[in-house]
Amino acid sequence: MTYLAQVINSTIREITPILLVALCAGVCSKVQVFNIALEGTLLMSAFFAFLTHYFLRNIFLSVAVAMAVAMCMTLVMSTFIVRLKGQPMIVGMALNTFARGFTTFLLSVIFHTKGAVNPSDLKGLTKLELPGIRNIPFLSTMFSSLTIIDYLAFVLAVVMFVVMYRTVIGFRLRALGINKSAAGSLGVNVPRYQIVATTLSGSMIGLAGCLLTLGRNAMFIQDISGARGYVALAANNLCKGHPLGAILSSALFGFTTALAQSLQGTAIRQQLLQCIPYISTIAAMAFYNVYAKAKAKRQA
Amino acid sequence: MNNERNGRRALLNAVDTVTQPLIAVLISFLLGAVVILVIGKNPLLAYGEMIRGAFGKQVYLMNTLKRATPIIMGGLAVCVAWRSGYEAMGGEGQMILGAMAAALAGYYLPGPAMLRIPAALLAAAVAGALYSVLSGWLFEKFDVTFVISTLMLNYIANYFAAFLCNYPLRDPEANVYQMQNAQTGKLPPEATLPPIMKGWVHWGFVLAVLAVILTWFLFRKTSFGFKSRMGGLNPRFALYGGVNARRMLYLVMILSGVMAGLGGAFESLGSKGRYVDQMIFSTGYAWTGMVAALLANMNPLGTLAASILLAGLAVGGSTMMLNMDIPLEVCNIIEGIITLFMSARMIRIASGNIRRRRQAKGGGEA
Amino acid sequence: MIFQMKHITKTYDNVVANDDVSLHLNEGEILSIVGENGAGKSTIMKILYGLERPDSGEIIVGGRPQRFHNPSDAMAVGIGMVQQHFMLFEQMTVTENIVFKNELKKGLFMDMDRAVETVRQLSERYGLKIDPRARIADCPVGLRQRVEILKILYQNAEIIIFDEPSAVLTPLEVEALLETLRGLAKAGKSIVLITHKLQEVMAVSDRVYVMRQGRVVAERMAADTDMEELAMLMVGHPLASYEIDPPKPGPVLLETKSLSLTENGRRVLSDISLHVNAGEIVGIAGVSGNGQSELIRCITGLEKSTGGQVLVGGKDVTNRSVRAIRDAGLAHISEDRYVWGSAPEGTLEENTLMVRQDEAPFSKKGIVNQRAIRDYAARLIREFNVKASSPVQKMRELSGGNAQKLIVAREMSLDTPVLICCEPTRGIDIGAMEAIHRRMLQRREQGSAILLVSSELTEVMSLSDRIYVIFEGRLVGEFARGSMDDKHLGLLMVGGTINHE
Repeated sequence: MTYLAQVINSTIREITPILLVALCAGVCSKVQVFNIALEGTLLMSAFFAFLTHYFLRNIFLSVAVAMAVAMCMTLVMSTFIVRLKGQPMIVGMALNTFARGFTTFLLSVIFHTKGAVNPSDLKGLTKLELPGIRNIPFLSTMFSSLTIIDYLAFVLAVVMFVVMYRTVIGFRLRALGINKSAAGSLGVNVPRYQIVATTLSGSMIGLAGCLLTLGRNAMFIQDISGARGYVALAANNLCKGHPLGAILSSALFGFTTALAQSLQGTAIRQQLLQCIPYISTIAAMAFYNVYAKAKAKRQA
Repeated sequence: MNNERNGRRALLNAVDTVTQPLIAVLISFLLGAVVILVIGKNPLLAYGEMIRGAFGKQVYLMNTLKRATPIIMGGLAVCVAWRSGYEAMGGEGQMILGAMAAALAGYYLPGPAMLRIPAALLAAAVAGALYSVLSGWLFEKFDVTFVISTLMLNYIANYFAAFLCNYPLRDPEANVYQMQNAQTGKLPPEATLPPIMKGWVHWGFVLAVLAVILTWFLFRKTSFGFKSRMGGLNPRFALYGGVNARRMLYLVMILSGVMAGLGGAFESLGSKGRYVDQMIFSTGYAWTGMVAALLANMNPLGTLAASILLAGLAVGGSTMMLNMDIPLEVCNIIEGIITLFMSARMIRIASGNIRRRRQAKGGGEA
Repeated sequence: MIFQMKHITKTYDNVVANDDVSLHLNEGEILSIVGENGAGKSTIMKILYGLERPDSGEIIVGGRPQRFHNPSDAMAVGIGMVQQHFMLFEQMTVTENIVFKNELKKGLFMDMDRAVETVRQLSERYGLKIDPRARIADCPVGLRQRVEILKILYQNAEIIIFDEPSAVLTPLEVEALLETLRGLAKAGKSIVLITHKLQEVMAVSDRVYVMRQGRVVAERMAADTDMEELAMLMVGHPLASYEIDPPKPGPVLLETKSLSLTENGRRVLSDISLHVNAGEIVGIAGVSGNGQSELIRCITGLEKSTGGQVLVGGKDVTNRSVRAIRDAGLAHISEDRYVWGSAPEGTLEENTLMVRQDEAPFSKKGIVNQRAIRDYAARLIREFNVKASSPVQKMRELSGGNAQKLIVAREMSLDTPVLICCEPTRGIDIGAMEAIHRRMLQRREQGSAILLVSSELTEVMSLSDRIYVIFEGRLVGEFARGSMDDKHLGLLMVGGTINHE
């Protein structure tokens, strides 16, 4: 029982960074900006969250800096794609390479290491205790040491749903994503909408970055993003950019990752376990596509 | 009138293809210089060290060529796939499996060098091709986009190879207490690619250059090259013209996988003499290859040149790190920025803007 | 006078699209601008709508000179345009499409109920019936056009430009459109109708400008002119008619037997049985979107049919590969030159080589012969009068007509017994059109079997020896040359029946 609660707990903690990144990916895909720089953006914001916290010891400032860095990265990404007509895949890979180099560079300049920095005196994000569940062992384990950003991620998914599907701005964004020239013919400045929307949504990657480096204890490891950006891309692909669907598709990946972690120490070797989330990503997409095709056929 | 206009257009195109990389390189080195300045070092000295360390002595140059070998192959893999319109990024995974397959075949198969090396290369080619075909199959049967499938497969390959060299195939002579990456057994001399001559780069580089020429020939002089290019330019047109799209997909995937797989083999048979955990993943050979292919606009000969330059950047970067205490990753930063600025069609856009502005102005006056 | 354009000149590269064009529009009138493709009528309207900027000249709206930088500027002074290609958000509702950019809001949120109500009122006021909550994807073409019109009315446009509005409509929808135009004029809107269909011009307009080669060549009151005069003015000379010998049909070279196609449970083609004999041009007449494209794709192997047979030269090639079907003796001029028929980014050389890439002398054992390829491309360019500067220039640098000529050249040079021509002259100038028609007739003389699909009824009627009429994926009639007039054909094309007495 406790074991189950622990698995759920670690699943939630694996879900939230992916969910936040997937929400950003959702906005990007709705406005037709193919963003594969998610990975590098996540890495950069995670690093700067840690760095700010390390030097300034101010959690709010760290979160703010992480969001700002993520927005900068996304701004560069969308400017190159939208204004300079860069090939999205290449722009994304360039930013990912840059992020990898830049974080490792600073890591070795500042901390003289290329591995992990784990200062023991540095605290992470404040953990939120839900009132009234302390005495229920299952629930308290399930929701133990979750930060406010973890909860915020789910709230943001709902908020993003409302924004995209109920407000005027969301309506315009969805519409221009469907047909750019139609929106342009009515005098909407499509590139500006695309750039502003993606940049603002980039701030959510900043939150995800904070979770990675400040979510438990404050620490940074080289390449801490560990393909979560790509996984989020796949998650968004599965839910077709729908913010509520993103909760489900991120949950799938969060769960497989948590599962792989919880199986550590069993007979299956760690390296094989680490393959599970990636394999299940591919499998989920393949299954989904086959299912969607069959459904389209049945409906007609 | 018409001729003159065409001449000018051709010139503009030529200027475009040459100046764009130059400007991209310039900007990235300038930004790199800023980074170096910020950490209190002299960028000119640093770049001097870098160039010297990459090309200054025969040893250095040979190191650069050695490093360039897998990058060239990774670049060719990208050239082949992207030119045909398949934006696959699975070179890394294929290279890992190729390196692993070659290391194993070389270690476990008996026989003289004449047989062992070709067998090891064959094993690598097959491993790379199969892995590449897997992503092609996922695309064809299940509509899983190349971006996602190949990115995921890269991680899977790396973890799988890590598992192999950590457990079942771990070097029997390895010292368990040594703090180092896991690795497979050391290849005997019969199974390694020897240097061309004493103090020179290994034969893998020569094979890579041959692969470049072969790819160039394939692109320019064969109907396969024509079909793949048409498929990349307009897949429907290719279909309409009677090109078998499915067959092309798999042929292209196989060829691309073979290139990447061999790249891995050259690294394990030529440089490392075994498979070492993370040897492909952490060096980012496949990504650098992709950058090289991009810099060269998918031209194999250009890819060769760009690969050598990028390898020089990394090798020279190590010298710079040793002698000036500047982290090697400056090179990654520079590489990233080059790629970024190469992605945009800046010159064309800039010249278009100028033309439009001039036109608008002319219109206003008239 | 609600607007006036004075001495407008516009050149693209070195082509003069508009040469000193002056025109004006009176309040509440319907003005037509007619002319052949490429006469410059679309350009002049794009300038008025702010999509293009003139090199010189003046636009005066409401008594004041205007300088439009984009469509919003034009909209701001009350000019709206219904474009030939609809600008709609497919997956959204009618209302959402209409209110885009001027949404009705409740704070930050959409006020959908009020928007729906507003659209309903608007549609009632102008008699444009529509379901405000329907999704565009489910609307037929006629309704989509209505949405476009409502969109413009919603923005309070006083001047409405229609660019070839009937090109995509069925004859019944055209009737409704003309009725709408009259209604709008009666409601005080001023209308500009750009078209090359003279019946419509005569049916609704008050005044007509005729354009040719970038100039206004005539202005007439509709009451003072007739279709013959307008046609003469448009073309500049009496229309050429082809002298066609009676057919000498040979054996059947192309045949389909009960060809059917079901896509996602929807029957797109049902039981199509047709045949084309040697030495015969067979036309397929129909409003576009009634299965013509699918039929051709099934015949040529681009799509797999779900029932029936295709025979080329007596050989069963049903659902074989494109290559196998082409090898059986079929060439195919595709309906869309840039989607299927060419690689715009490829060179002319590459575009002429396609299909023959595995044939000697162009390639042997997979190795290409560059010289043979270049000579071949140069030859086709010369023989078919393609205006090009070099065989290695890019396809997209050619004008539409020349690109089409190159595609026709490629497919005709394959010298196959069967030739399929889909919309062989869509959107190209008269000269190129006549050249292509003559080539087709020449091939007919030489004994090829030609299947012609065209949405231009006049083209089908003037070239075909026999005509099949297609409606909703079935053949609803077959006629020999001369046994049917365009009224009856038109009726069949929209699903009507003919009473045989």
